[in-house]
Amino acid sequence: MIVRIASGISGFDELTSSEDNLALKLGGFPENSATLIYGPPEVGKSTFCYQFTYQGLTQDEPCLYLTTDHGIQDIYDTMKGIGLNLDDYLENEMLYVVDAVSSDMEVEESDIYQRSSVHNPTDMLVKVSRVARSISQKSPRLRGVVDSVTTILESNNEMLIVRVLKTYILRIKEAGGTVIITYIEGSADSRTETLIKSMVDNIIKLDGEKIIIEAMKGMGRKEDAYRTTDEGIVILHDEQ
Amino acid sequence: MSTVESGIPGLDELLQSEAGYDLGGIPQNTSTLVYGPPKVGKSIFSYQFANHGLNLEEPCLYITADEGMKQLQQNMIDFGWYLQNAMEKELLYVIDSISSLSGAPIETTNTYTPSKINDPTDLMVKVGIGTRFVFKKSNEFRSVFDSLTTPFAFNPEPMVIRFLKTYIRRLQEAGSTLVITYTEGVADENTEKILKSVVDNVIMLDGSYLTFRSSEGLMGTAEYQITNQGLVLGEGEIL
Repeated sequence: MIVRIASGISGFDELTSSEDNLALKLGGFPENSATLIYGPPEVGKSTFCYQFTYQGLTQDEPCLYLTTDHGIQDIYDTMKGIGLNLDDYLENEMLYVVDAVSSDMEVEESDIYQRSSVHNPTDMLVKVSRVARSISQKSPRLRGVVDSVTTILESNNEMLIVRVLKTYILRIKEAGGTVIITYIEGSADSRTETLIKSMVDNIIKLDGEKIIIEAMKGMGRKEDAYRTTDEGIVILHDEQ
Repeated sequence: MSTVESGIPGLDELLQSEAGYDLGGIPQNTSTLVYGPPKVGKSIFSYQFANHGLNLEEPCLYITADEGMKQLQQNMIDFGWYLQNAMEKELLYVIDSISSLSGAPIETTNTYTPSKINDPTDLMVKVGIGTRFVFKKSNEFRSVFDSLTTPFAFNPEPMVIRFLKTYIRRLQEAGSTLVITYTEGVADENTEKILKSVVDNVIMLDGSYLTFRSSEGLMGTAEYQITNQGLVLGEGEIL
């Protein structure tokens, strides 16, 4: 009964598929759910987001990308570096970016590109909600990315951000979206961390060597080795 | 002591093995706190408890505070449980205290009403309306509060506790058997102690084991798994 959507991460859909359950035979992310991707810094969380975003774009799912660490130019270049060219999707207005880095002052604001600030969570929420609503009027599906909530937590009262994040997840899901959110393990109070884990449907940990699916709708815990290559993250499917 | 069937395969049998529980199940007209870390099956427990009662034509007052009505229905459909029939029969009354945040169009019906996550006073009013609605059907009804986690993120802790005490008292007076869920670790340690003390029974889920403790000190534990039928308990023992 649980519909899955292709992740864009090589090996991930195989890892999350279930041979003995026809409905889950095609793996991937449960549609219309929220997933937390967490782990130490520099293990590939952003790369994971890029691949997830791009996969959606290739199958006509618009993406709403809230970025707090990398400006749009940075994202564009990094994605190009792993073979994901955004030109067509920017031109077709499939990729919507809310840029809370605010470093790329030379990029002009438009329907698909808006600036915000990590110091102003209300503004981020308003902009993201507005874009999600407008996307939902033309597409039944969308993907939402928040990369990363750690940066937002660092600049604000954590409980406020928990409430903003809860609202964000509700709104994107209402708009038909499937969400991923990145977070650096241990960067917030343990109560905050527990609240964030309780608000999402699925929890995935990347530790630099292993990808651990700690919780996912319709399946038990699974893990596998992965590597970051010049084609992004590749799950290796070790002989167990 | 009379009991209600939990709807969790294995749990009623576990509780039945203790003399004194003649039917097997959760003691009737008591309150039970289901708690544990995130993603161990607390909401699924709630779904099963409510759905099982509805299948037995026992009415249910369901307060959903983490997920809106649409998501709640979808989550239950993932297990093959449908609420539509119970709503048509007016066996189920849902109070949705979270959808107002999502921007979804919300329509109050005779079995569904929205509330606000940061307004316990409004929620209590709606609880009164909902209680009267299900009480008319039967004074032996179930109630679910899933969960206290989001209210703790949106309200001061003492306010949530005050609400909870009033909620439990009112529903127990009306004859209900209550299930309340909570994610361990999101409130202060003292608040957690109070939480566990204001209910009659606690059920701890840790991802591998379910442990039940009643107000009379009965304790039972069993391994469990989350399957496409919901939580299923393995062989357990009374401690």
